[in-house]
Amino acid sequence: MEKNSTKAMIITLATIGIISAILLTFVYQWTIPYIEANQEETRRIAINEVLPTAEEINQVERESQIFYEGYDSSGNRVGMAYQHSGGGYNGPIELMIGVDLEAEEIIRISILNHQETPGLGARITEEEYKSNFAGKPFGDYEVVKTPPSKTMEVQAVAGATISSANTTRIVEEAVSMINNAYGGGS
Amino acid sequence: MSVNAKQLISDFKNGLWQENPIFRLVIGMCPTLAVTNTMVNGLAMGLATSFVLISSEIVVSLIKKLIPGDVRIPSYILIIATFVTFVDYFLKAFYPSIAASLSLFVPLIVVNCLILGRQETFASQNPVHRSFADALGMGIGFTWALLLLSAVRELFGMGSMFGLQILGDWYRPMVIMVLPAGAFITLGILIAIMNVIGKNATNDTTCH
Repeated sequence: MEKNSTKAMIITLATIGIISAILLTFVYQWTIPYIEANQEETRRIAINEVLPTAEEINQVERESQIFYEGYDSSGNRVGMAYQHSGGGYNGPIELMIGVDLEAEEIIRISILNHQETPGLGARITEEEYKSNFAGKPFGDYEVVKTPPSKTMEVQAVAGATISSANTTRIVEEAVSMINNAYGGGS
Repeated sequence: MSVNAKQLISDFKNGLWQENPIFRLVIGMCPTLAVTNTMVNGLAMGLATSFVLISSEIVVSLIKKLIPGDVRIPSYILIIATFVTFVDYFLKAFYPSIAASLSLFVPLIVVNCLILGRQETFASQNPVHRSFADALGMGIGFTWALLLLSAVRELFGMGSMFGLQILGDWYRPMVIMVLPAGAFITLGILIAIMNVIGKNATNDTTCH
């Protein structure tokens, strides 16, 4: 068979493709349990962070969204956690938000995944920024560059206004998703 | 035999300095500039690229005679992509935090021209042992260059090294260093320094 014939080319590429696919199937099957366990673990830590008083977490599905209801040891619902994502400065930001439905307040937020600039936007994962949302009532927030003077103000991370504003918007969206699913909270 | 060993050593050393992918050949700039904002990222990217480079040079060198010339580039890309996908899954499974911070730059190793370039200029024309020596040298050369670049950027940009705070509160971080512009500035200055060192080295040898 001539080396550069069309047949030879097709056979070569098909063979490499098939061998590659077989090898990657094994790699996939080997790694996927670890990958899923990692994601599960990240989610569990995040839920614990945003619902610190919850002893037991129940996963519920409402309006085709997954919510995590947190209960304390005596069976009272202490809060709800919800995972939401949106665009950041460099890529998607994925966060977990914990809310108190009765008080209509955010308890805490936790950043699961992000690709923001290290040293700048990446500081949305630090307590200084996240604490902005602790105890905030539901509603629309305003991102400001100075220490907040009103309840609905959120202080941006210095030098990372876009990351801060986008995270704030994701939080607002998450709150309205929860509100929709749980009938406006009232 | 000794000629053979000498050949191998010179193949290996080639990538470390003389034809260092970053400071000499100036190829593979996309990951170089994008992920060297922290030392952990720089090191991880260097090692991941080295693994892909070594594995694919070995495979390409082994099967080079079976690949028709007209489809050699797509064949190389398929082989490279296989190893890159392996690295991607491996990092996600065992080093999730590194996988998260490198994110889409891991799949992008497929199109790193350093890797394709070495298949075309070296592995496809040389035996396996020489290709391995070349890949190892190029891989280490790429890794140390990324590490140096990220060390400078992390130290000046955040005052830390490998995430450990080195410089105290008195130091005001130069934020530009962790931004893309800082990558260009650092790379330019480092290449200038390398050129001066390279020039002196050649002058020394001619003096003898």
